[in-house]
Amino acid sequence: MTFIPGLGIVKGMGLTLRRFFEPKATIKYPEVKPDIPHKFRGRLQLLYDEYGALKCETCFQCAQACPIECIDMGGIDTKGRFHVHWGAPETYGERREESALRRSGRTVPDPAYAHFEGIDPDPVDGILEEYDYDPKRMLQILEATQAAYGHLPVAALKRISHATGAWYAMIYGTASYYNHLRFERPEDNRQAAELAERRPTERTFLTGLDAALAGGPRDGAQKTLGAKPN
Amino acid sequence: MTIILRTPKAWPSILLARAGAQDATDLDAAVKAGAFIGLRKALHDLGPNAVIATIAASGLRGRGGAGFPTAEKWRAAAATDAPRRYVVANGYGADPAVLTDRTLLETDPYAVIEGLAIAALAIDAGEAFIALRSDAGEAIRRLEAAIGAAEEAGFIGPDVLGSGRSLTVSVRPVQGAYMLGEETVLLKALEGKRGQPEQRPPHPSERGLFGMPTVVQNVQTLAAVPWILVNGAEAFAAIGSKASPGTILVAVRGPAGAGIAEVPLGTPLGDIVALAGGARTGRGAKPADGDGGGSHALKAVLVGGPSGGLLPPDLLDTPYEFDALRAVGAHVGSGSIVAADERACIVDLARLLTRFCADEACGKTIPCRIGTRRISEIGDRIAIGVPRPTDLQLLTDLSADVVASALCDHERLATLPYASGMRYFRSELDDHILRSSCPAGVCRPIAVAAGAAH
Repeated sequence: MTFIPGLGIVKGMGLTLRRFFEPKATIKYPEVKPDIPHKFRGRLQLLYDEYGALKCETCFQCAQACPIECIDMGGIDTKGRFHVHWGAPETYGERREESALRRSGRTVPDPAYAHFEGIDPDPVDGILEEYDYDPKRMLQILEATQAAYGHLPVAALKRISHATGAWYAMIYGTASYYNHLRFERPEDNRQAAELAERRPTERTFLTGLDAALAGGPRDGAQKTLGAKPN
Repeated sequence: MTIILRTPKAWPSILLARAGAQDATDLDAAVKAGAFIGLRKALHDLGPNAVIATIAASGLRGRGGAGFPTAEKWRAAAATDAPRRYVVANGYGADPAVLTDRTLLETDPYAVIEGLAIAALAIDAGEAFIALRSDAGEAIRRLEAAIGAAEEAGFIGPDVLGSGRSLTVSVRPVQGAYMLGEETVLLKALEGKRGQPEQRPPHPSERGLFGMPTVVQNVQTLAAVPWILVNGAEAFAAIGSKASPGTILVAVRGPAGAGIAEVPLGTPLGDIVALAGGARTGRGAKPADGDGGGSHALKAVLVGGPSGGLLPPDLLDTPYEFDALRAVGAHVGSGSIVAADERACIVDLARLLTRFCADEACGKTIPCRIGTRRISEIGDRIAIGVPRPTDLQLLTDLSADVVASALCDHERLATLPYASGMRYFRSELDDHILRSSCPAGVCRPIAVAAGAAH
C-alpha cells in the first residue's frame, strides 16, 4: 500500500465525525433516571480496604435484602472467633463451603491435587495393550479394569487417560454414567454381588411392579429394594 | 427361561418360526430349515436397490417402538456419501420386565445374523454389531457360536457367499443404563462414550456410529427381513394391519401368568391379553373372596413398558399397532402388555412407572432431568394425600412442556403413565385428591389433608 499524506488524519476525523452525530448515551443523572429493571442492584462486588483486607464484615444485610436470594455467603465474625454463613443449607452446600473457606482466608483443598492411592500398574497396562490403547473401546477397557481391581482406582483412570489420550474428565464422566462401574472399593461382598447381579433400580422396578399389581398396601417403591427377585 | 405362549393357529409365525429347534446354534439344521436363503437371493438375484425396494414394498417398520419405516432408513444410509457404513442390531431390550429380544436371539440367532447381512449388503456396510445386555449370558454365548459357525461356512466374514464382499459381525455386550435402548445412546456406548442421546436430525442413518451412516435396527426387524425376501413383499404386507404389517414379539403378563408371544400387528389388545389368561372385562364383576389372581376384574392394561400408557378395559379392541396406540395414549415401546386388575391402584402404578423413568433419565436435558422428577413428586403428593389444589393443572402443563421440549422419546413418553391416567381414570385420581381415599386400598392418603383441613 502506498503512503498517502494525510490519510491517517482523515480516517481519524471520520471516526470522530461519525461519533459526533450518533445519538448520545449520556444522561443527566439526578434529573433523568436510567431505565433499569426494578430488581437490578448493580454489580455485586466485595471491596478491599487500603491494607488489602476485605471490607465485608459479614453482616448479611445484602443477603437479607437480595430480592432473588442469590447471595449466599460465609466468613469469620468480626472478632475472628467463629465461622458464620448465610443461605439455605441444602442449596449449594458444597460451593458455599468452599467459598466460605476462600472468603475466610483459609486454603481451599483442590480435589484434583488430592492424594490418590497407588496401584500395581501391570493389570491396567495389560488391559490397555489388549485393547490397543483405543479410546473407542473405553467401555471394555473400564470394565476390564474394574474386573482386575474390583473398582476403578483414580491411578488406573489417570493411566488410561495418559495411554489412550482421552481426557481424564471424559473418562470419569463415562465411568460415572454407567451404573455398573464404580469408583469405590465395594464395602462388603453382598453389596458388590448385588451391584453385579442386577442394577438396583431395575430390581426396584420389578419388585415394585409385582407389588403394585398384587395390590397390597406398601409404603413406597424404595422399600422393596432389599427384596429378592423370584 | 421365558415361556413362549401358545397363540391361535391362524396367527402367522415369522420370528419364532424356528423356535422349536433342538440346538439354536446348529447351522446345518438352521440351513435345512431355510436360513440364509434370503441372503443368497439378495446377493445373487436382487442387489442392493432391489432389496431396499422389496423392503419398502413390504411396509416393514422398525420394531424398536417408534415404528420408523425400515426401507427409508436404509435408503438414507445408502444415499449418504461416506467412506464406511455400519449396521447395528439393537437387542438391548431396556425394559427389565421384557425379554423378547433376548428370547429371539436365543431361539433364532441365524435369522438376526442373516437380516444383518442383508442390511449390510443393501447399504454397502462392511462392519456390523449386535448389541445386547451383558447379563444375557445365554444369548451372548449362542450368538457368538452362531457367528463363528456362519463365518466358517462363508455366510459372513471376509468373503460373503463367494461374492468378494466382506462383513465382520461382532457381538457387543453393553450394560449399565436403561437409556441404552435408545438408538443414539446405544451408538454412544459403542463408541465408548457416556450414553446420552443426540439431537436429530441428522439421523444416525446419515451420521451415526463414528460419524458414519449407520442403520440401527431392532433385532426383530432384522429377523423379519430374510422372511420378506424369501416369501415376497406381498405375503408380508398381507399379514397384520395395513399401516404396519408383519408380526411383533410381545411380553404379556396377565392373571394366568406371563410369557412371550408373537402377534400380528393390528391384533386387538383384548386378544393379546387373552393369551395370558384373559380379562374379565365386566365392570361389575365381583371378586370372589380369598380367591387367586384370576378372579379379579380387569381394571387397566399397561401397554409399552415403564413409559407406557394405562388403558381402560373399554379400549381392549384397540388394534395393537404403532399409530393406533399412539392415538389412544400408549405406545408399542418395549412390547410389554401388563394386565392390572382391581387390586392395583392407578396412582400407585403411574407413580412407580414415572419414578423409574425419572431415575433412569440420563440427565442431558433439563425437561427430562427435572421435569420427570417433578411429575413423580406430584404423584407422590397425590398418593400420600397432600396434593395442592393446582396439582392436576400443574401435572397437565408440565407434561405438555416436557413433551414439547423433549430431546428424545424417553422423556416424551415418560409423561404417558400420568397423562393416560388422567385421561381414562380421572375418577380414581379425584378419589385420591378430593376424598382422600384409594379405591383399591393401596395408597394411604392422610384423611385430614383433604378439604376439611384447608
